[in-house]
Amino acid sequence: MNSSETNTAPPIIELSHVDKHFGQLHVLKDISLSVKKGEVVVIIGPSGSGKSTLCRTINRLETIDSGEIRIDGTALPEEGKKLAELRSQVGMVFQSFNLFAHKTILDNVTIAPIDVLGKSKKEARAEAMELLKRVGVDSQAAKVPAQLSGGQQQRVAIARALAMHPKAILFDEPTSALDPEMIGEVLDVMTALAKDGMTMVVVTHEMNFARRVADRIIFMDGGSILEENTPEEFFTHPKTKRAQDFLNSIQAH
Amino acid sequence: MKQKQPTIRDALYEAPGPKARKRIAVATVISILALAALVIAVIRRFAENGQLDARYWSIFTRYTTWRFLGYGLAGTMTAALTAGVITFFVGLLLMMGRISSFKVLRALCTVLIEFSRGVPTLLFIYFFLLVVPQFGIRLPALWKVAAPVAISACGVVAEVLRSGVNAVPKGQTEAALSLGMRRSSVFFKIVFPQALRFVVPALISELVIVLKDTTFAYIVNYSDLMQNARVLISNYDALLSVYLVTAVIYILINYILNKISVAVARRTR
Repeated sequence: MNSSETNTAPPIIELSHVDKHFGQLHVLKDISLSVKKGEVVVIIGPSGSGKSTLCRTINRLETIDSGEIRIDGTALPEEGKKLAELRSQVGMVFQSFNLFAHKTILDNVTIAPIDVLGKSKKEARAEAMELLKRVGVDSQAAKVPAQLSGGQQQRVAIARALAMHPKAILFDEPTSALDPEMIGEVLDVMTALAKDGMTMVVVTHEMNFARRVADRIIFMDGGSILEENTPEEFFTHPKTKRAQDFLNSIQAH
Repeated sequence: MKQKQPTIRDALYEAPGPKARKRIAVATVISILALAALVIAVIRRFAENGQLDARYWSIFTRYTTWRFLGYGLAGTMTAALTAGVITFFVGLLLMMGRISSFKVLRALCTVLIEFSRGVPTLLFIYFFLLVVPQFGIRLPALWKVAAPVAISACGVVAEVLRSGVNAVPKGQTEAALSLGMRRSSVFFKIVFPQALRFVVPALISELVIVLKDTTFAYIVNYSDLMQNARVLISNYDALLSVYLVTAVIYILINYILNKISVAVARRTR
């Protein structure tokens, strides 16, 4: 990455002092986080630590109580056309894939470029086929989601996000709903994306992936960011006791 | 052997054992005998009263009788389809109001839905027959049937559609929103098409109710199947035979509708 460029350009994603409550529960506590262009940030932590919620606040699928979220320098609008526009610039890949069940694989990928970007059907289809080829499911284009394996569905979901040419993609536990033998194929696609310079925020429990691909690890617990470090440092010398306990608990078996 | 589709029965009951099979066989034989006895008794009563005499049934050998019933059937279909289409769109609007984020609109639609569901169809018919003309509005007979029948069904249709919308997983909406689609696009392109598939059988059941409600047509002098059947009855004094044939026609139409509903539900699963 060109360091002089990143110094001047605003971060792609920037959260400052974000707080959120679910009723009594304080799920995000004074979260500040900045993701530069081309950076891969992996968020890890025990379940209930607020990492998924954090991921979902970035495109306002979860609202926040206070603080500020900026996408490429623009404050996240609260509603309407402006919000939709900003959402279209940030892709999202969900734990449960969420492919549109009534549409074919190809239509899943083309619907947003046609509906939101106003592309022609022909152009959108051509590009969608390219993307499906890139994630290795082009042979399934005419099927509906229910006919595909979990791994294939998740790769389609990634292609669907890519079709909008997003500035960043959020991955909310993308492999947690997959059978073990399908996790690899999805992680391979994500690794290739990272290599191509995509800006990514990934919530995951896949520690090997985090170690291999992340530029930075964020460790969350109890709604706060407890540690922020390079993968090497974090996995070999965790600073906080809770991060040490967490790493021990997942490496114990 | 062909693999049987699992039915709801398989889920509710375990496979019967030898004793249960014997009990089922005995109960089946007894019920068949009882049913046969009942049918024979009814036919004998009819025969004794002369209802099976040729004069009551010979009218059905005439082309004109069938043509007259055919006109009635066309009237029934016109009224049912008109009411059905109105019901669907009014129901859709009520449902959208009911789930909207505007409190006042939501409250208004909730009240309208409850009103539509709570008031008997006959009352709406009388409203259109007796009250509406007092305002100087002269409606054709078709609308005097179709409008009240539609009003009485649209509340149920709104609730059926709403249950379908609620059955669409939240992730579908979230995925569409995350792609930058606007609320209206998300609803009409993602949520509603899926909701509709869930509720097609329930909607067709409601269409059957609408079709049966159009028999109120005789009150407003609209020539539907029922009204024309009544004309035949008074002309030929053939009460039983005409009612039986009319009932069979209604059963056939509704049976076909239900078959369509099952086929649609299977195709869209």
